[in-house]
Order: sequence, then C-alpha cells, then structure tokens
Amino acid sequence: MATRKKVLLKVIILGDSGVGKTSLMNQYVNKKFSNQYKATIGADFLTKEVIVDDRIVTMQIWDTAGQERFQSLGVAFYRGADCCVLVFDVTAPNTFKSLDSWRDEFLIQASPREPENFPFVLLGNKVDLEPRAISSKRAQQWCQSKNGIPYFETSAKEALNVEQAFQSIARNALTQQNQTVDLYNEFPDQIKLTNTTNRNSNGDSCAC
Amino acid sequence: MEESAEESMDLCCQDGVLLTSAPAAYMNYINTVGTLFIVEYLNSNRTRCIEWKPNDVTIDSEMQDQEWAMVNTVERRTRTFSETCSRSKYLKVNMIEVKSFRVSRNKQKLAFMDGKGESLCNFLFQHSNCDLLLATLKGILRTAPSRRDKHLHIILDDLQNPETQQLNKSFAELNLFQDPSDYVWGFVRNFHNKPYETAMEAFAKITDIVYRGPEHRIMDDEVHDILNRSLEAIENSTTTHTHDEYEVIAHVPKLPDRKDYPRGRPLSADQWKGLKDPEGRVEDVESVKLMIFRGGISPEIRKEVWKYLLDYYIWDNTNTQRQNLIKQRHDEYNVMKLQWRSMTHIQEDNFSDYRERKSLIEKDVKRTDRTIDYFEGDQNPNVLVLYDILMTYVMYNFDLGYVQGMSDLLSPILYLLDNEVDAFWCFVGFMNKVSSNFDMDQAGMKEQLQHLNMLLAFVEPELANYLKKHESGNMFFCFRWLLVWFKREFNMEDIMRLWEVLWTGLPCQNFHLLICIAILETEKEILMENNYGFCEILKHINDLSGNIDVATILSKAEGMYHQIIEADHLTDSVRLIIGLPILGNTVMIDSKEASPDISELASSSQGADGEEVCYERAISNSFL
Repeated sequence: MATRKKVLLKVIILGDSGVGKTSLMNQYVNKKFSNQYKATIGADFLTKEVIVDDRIVTMQIWDTAGQERFQSLGVAFYRGADCCVLVFDVTAPNTFKSLDSWRDEFLIQASPREPENFPFVLLGNKVDLEPRAISSKRAQQWCQSKNGIPYFETSAKEALNVEQAFQSIARNALTQQNQTVDLYNEFPDQIKLTNTTNRNSNGDSCAC
Repeated sequence: MEESAEESMDLCCQDGVLLTSAPAAYMNYINTVGTLFIVEYLNSNRTRCIEWKPNDVTIDSEMQDQEWAMVNTVERRTRTFSETCSRSKYLKVNMIEVKSFRVSRNKQKLAFMDGKGESLCNFLFQHSNCDLLLATLKGILRTAPSRRDKHLHIILDDLQNPETQQLNKSFAELNLFQDPSDYVWGFVRNFHNKPYETAMEAFAKITDIVYRGPEHRIMDDEVHDILNRSLEAIENSTTTHTHDEYEVIAHVPKLPDRKDYPRGRPLSADQWKGLKDPEGRVEDVESVKLMIFRGGISPEIRKEVWKYLLDYYIWDNTNTQRQNLIKQRHDEYNVMKLQWRSMTHIQEDNFSDYRERKSLIEKDVKRTDRTIDYFEGDQNPNVLVLYDILMTYVMYNFDLGYVQGMSDLLSPILYLLDNEVDAFWCFVGFMNKVSSNFDMDQAGMKEQLQHLNMLLAFVEPELANYLKKHESGNMFFCFRWLLVWFKREFNMEDIMRLWEVLWTGLPCQNFHLLICIAILETEKEILMENNYGFCEILKHINDLSGNIDVATILSKAEGMYHQIIEADHLTDSVRLIIGLPILGNTVMIDSKEASPDISELASSSQGADGEEVCYERAISNSFL
C-alpha cells in the first residue's frame, strides 16, 4: 500500500442481545453512556476518525440487532468488514457460550478471503457489574483457542478500557486491509471484485 | 433419500464436503463434513436434486448446547422450504430451484443460488475441488458465466426442462429460423444482456411475420391487438439514454397527477355515540373505519375504539355480550399468566426455550420507551406490567414467543389503555396483523421489502433505479420502519395516530408500504442530489426519526394510492400487493417468484395489461 488515500475501516460489532454493543459504540464515538438505549432494530453505524500509526483513518462501526433470527439480514452489513468485534457480558454465561456461533456465523456470511487469519477482537463488557460469571482466564483461553484473538475487559458505563480496545480494533483492521490489498495485487484480476462490492467511491466520501 | 421409495441414480458424488451455509432448517448440520451428490430420480419428470448427507450423525456436544433449542423452533416455523426439504433428513435441493452457482477459492467453494440470487446452500470441498461436480453440472445444464462476475455461473436452463422444450417447440412451429434452438438461445442470451434491444428486435421480427409474412397465418384478433398496441406504445413514447456500454431504450410511463387529500377531522365522541344502536352495537363498521382512516380518533374515545380496531371487542356485540366477553377474556388472561408465574425453578432450569424468551423480555422491557413519563424511572410499575403481558404472550403463542420489536408494539397500547388485560388482548390483535414480521426465517420481512421495492419501481421508478445502482435495492434501510410499523420514527402521539389509521385496513392492503414510499419520495432529492451510497442512505433514513410529519405523510400516501389505482399501466404485480383483483385471466402471477429485475421490466412497460405481462413473464421465466 503505497497510496496515502483516506482509509475507511469497517468494523462489525456482534454479540447476544443486551451485552452492550450499542453502548460500547456510543461510549467510544460519543463519549457518553445512557441506560436508555433502545434495542437495536435493523442496523446502524457511527464513524470516528482516529490516528493509527501516524495515519488518519475513519472507522465505521456497525451495530446490529442481537437476536439470532435477525442475523439472516446481517450479510448485507458484514460484507467488506475489516475487523469483527465480538462482545459478551461477563455476568451472563450464555452470552459467552454464544461466541462460537457468532464467530462462525460471521465467517460464513462475510466469507473473508482467509477465514483463519481474519481479525477478531473479543470484549468482555459490564465488568462494573457483580457477580461475575466468566473469569478473565476463561475468556483468554477461548481467545487462545481461536488463534490468539486479543481480549479486553471493558465497561461501557464507566468508560473502562473502551478507548484501548478500539485502538487495538483499528490497528487490527488496518493490518487486515493492508494485507488484503497486497493479496489482491498479486492477483490483479480480482481487484475489481472487492473494490466494487466493498468500498467504492462512496466509501471515501462517507461522512456519515 | 432413505425414506424415499423412488428409484434414483447418483450422477455424481464427492466426499469430504463441508456444508457452510444452508436453509435454517439445516442449521445443525452447518460446518459438518459430508458427501455431496447429484441425484436423478427415475420418475417421469426426471427430477434432479443436489443432495448432501453428513458423514455420521454425531454432533459436537458443544455445538448441540447452543444450537439445539434454535433448531426445534426453526423446524416448527419453517415457511419457505418445500415440503420435501423439511421432511428430508438430509439437505436436498431440487435443481429447478437453482438458478446460478458460484465457484470460488480455487474451486473449493461452491455456492448455489436461487432466482433472486439468494443463497440456497454453500459447500466447501475440503480434500479436493469441485471439478467433478462442475463437469456433471455442465453435462446436464446449460450455463454461462455472468458478465459481472466470472466466478458466477448462470444456469440458462436444464436441458430436459419441459419449459425449454416447449419454448423450443413453439419457436420451431413458427418456423422462423433454420436452427430454432440456436436462435432461441441467442435470443435468450441477448435478452439477458440487452433486454430492451432484444425485445424490440424480437418484436420487429414478429411484426415481419404478422404483416409481411409470405403466407397468411391464422391469428387471433386478440394477439393481433396486443402486438399492435405494444408496437404503437413503443413508438409513441420511448426515450433512450446510455447505460454502461449498451443503450437502453426505456419508457417511463407517467402516473396520473396526484390530487390533494387533506386529512379529515378525528372521529369525535359525539359521532361515535351516534354510530352505536341503543343496545351498543356498532352497525356501520365501514363508515367508522372510513372516518378513522380520514382523520384518526379523538383522544377521549381512543381507548374504547382501539379495542374494536384490534379485534378485542366485536363490532356487532351488544353491551351485555361485550360484558361477558370482557369477563371471559379476563379469566383466560389470568389462567395464562398463572401458567408461567407458577413455574418452579426446576421447571425453568429444564426449559431452555422458555428461559431464553424470558431473559430477552427482561432485557427489553428495561429499554422500551423509558424516556416517556409513563415508563420513566427506577422501579416503575408499568415496566413490570409490560413484562407480565409479554411473558403471558409467550404462553399464549409459544411458537412465536418473544421477538425483539414486540415490546415496541405493546408500549403505546399499554400507555393508552393503562390496563393489563385490555392491553394484552389488544396486543394479541395487533400481533395477528403483523406476526409474519417476526418469522424465524424472516420470510415475512423479506417479502415486504421486496413488495416495497416493486411498489417503488412503479410509483417512483427513478428513485428505485437510483437505489438499485447504489446497492440499496434490497430496501434494508426500511427494515426498522416495517418491523415495528414506524414506532421508532414518531413520538407517542403521532404513532397512535398513524397506527389507528393503518389498522382500518383502508384504503388498501399494505397501505403501510405506501407510507414508506411517501417518506422516501420526500427524501428523494436529498438522497439523489448528494449521491448517497448504501451507508449514507441507511444513515439518512435512520436519522429521520423524530422528523417526519405524520399528517403530511398520510395525505401523500393517500394521494399515491389514488394515482396507482388510476394508472393506465397498473400491473398485476402491483395489484396483488395492494389487494386489487388481478386482470390477467390466463396466468396467475406470483409476485414472490418474480425477481426484482423482472418486476421492473413488467412495471415499466407501457400498456402492460394482463396479457402483456404474461407474455413478458413467459419470456423472462424461460431465460432466468
């Protein structure tokens, strides 16, 4: 990647209903927390400009509904993702158990080129709450079993670790994008495919 | 296969094939390795199927934990899969459903798609590639690589498909060309690539035969008329513009001018009183509904009238009958409520479907309209009532259970009625109108999005075309509007007005789709002038929340309704959506089967009355 074009990183946040996906996104982008967020219906996203390794990049963070039956609509939103953030609630064991299926579902729907190397980041949210059901150790073990996914324990409410987590997400997404571009350069006939479907001209001007 | 007594023959089989995506009913087989077959049944139709069978039926125990509960619900509520599929133990897809397939990742990935380009099933070849399978497919199907995506192969037709044979035969009978089959396929290919040019060319050739044929052919007056009319229409009103590398000759028929339909006054207490007979029956239901449609309901009688609109009260009941009904409904409610309230911890522990629904409801009531007075603050008792009603609804309709969005539909009802039992039964009535929104496989939502797109193409072809070119033809950005009937877009007062108007079912079926179109039309300029793409369109639509004027939109949608029904070129597909009788007397057009491209073609052709649509369908069906 020799170009210094404006970079857009597409990040998808996934996880069970009520784990705090919308809250994390709002805490990171708008620096605020509310107990009154409504359940997300359909999909929405926020953007934020960040500096990663001296480069200005725009992160486009997608938030989708957490109930499983709405996932069939996720495909349209997963396409062209550079990083997938999996979220669970450290006080709710079921939300941790679902992680595998969220990860699998994402890989199936988004079909990244190299599923085994696609960057995921795991966030254990709501660490401000008691009692805790999933220990850091258990979460880390899961991460190790998945090719060393980075793990962060966060509290969207207390703004704990949120900034750090998203910095890591941005860095991973950027690495992924650079690698993808390199790969496509090796196979020039395939450039067209991703460029048009993922991020065409409107990506650059995406001021939303 | 095992249970099928039909004789069959494996045309090809390949082991070590991972199922990576499949209809929801096969969820528990996803990521399982198995064998992929192409099977031909030795019945009269020579039905061919893609079949896949897992290696052994042991399922990873960890996976079982998470998926099992879901799978059960899936199977109960499946709507979109054919009978054979849901009964079959293994994945089985009839080749007739497959309209294209995509080969990727060094021929290790193979995906089969239906006519709408939606995935039927995807496979990953773990040990080898799909060459063998492709060779077999190519032996039985006529395929061509897509122009846009060389990995995508469009199935032109099954070589033994009866429709193909018929098409071939009818062209052969016309005796227009030396080698009918070649011509037909050339025609079909051209049709696919350059639909308008090819259609014109074909019409021209047929005209030659009709008007300048060497011998007199016997022709129906009717057919003669159709040909005449289409030719005239095309000559009179075509515009050309360049689109990519080929020229599109498009005709954009105009709707009649939109008239003003100012909103009426709400149904007043006096009017309402006057509509009831001395014993309390409401006699002229249609007039009541019409008044509500035109102006809504005055707040002081809303509480009572909603119970009628939501089928809790029965219009022609006397006061006495109604009192009995209320009592009966109270008792029923209490029985159902007791069912879940009396559940022991052990029962709950052993009932994961129930626990899952309960936990979702707990999460959602805490975040439903908490900013309005009625639900505000910690320990608000009304939040608990919301919870109790939704939990009781789970017992009332366990298959549907609780799906996100339902709490949004209940909240205004409870807010208005302020009574647990009344709100429950009214909510039941509302859910009866919209339950398909919450289908497990989302079939109801997908169908509505597609209908919305078809209506938009008819009313606002320019915008529909714009959306299509900007990756938004799937209308996903309207998902929230449709799922909870615009609940998230309006304040409490406005949503009550909008819903009561929609509940009348006037002036036509699916009027809520016209509400969508009215809003979209209002935003059309902004979307198009700013050249918004997929993301910006979605964002813009999401951000409209709280900025839509309900009265303006209702008038506009009503105006659109009149434009549509008065349009000369009203198509059967649009008629079906808005619930008008269709004109086509020969072929029923199933809007579900129409791909958006075809419906667009149908809706943008001049004078597309029944016959003509049928003609287009016949051609389209035979090449897609």
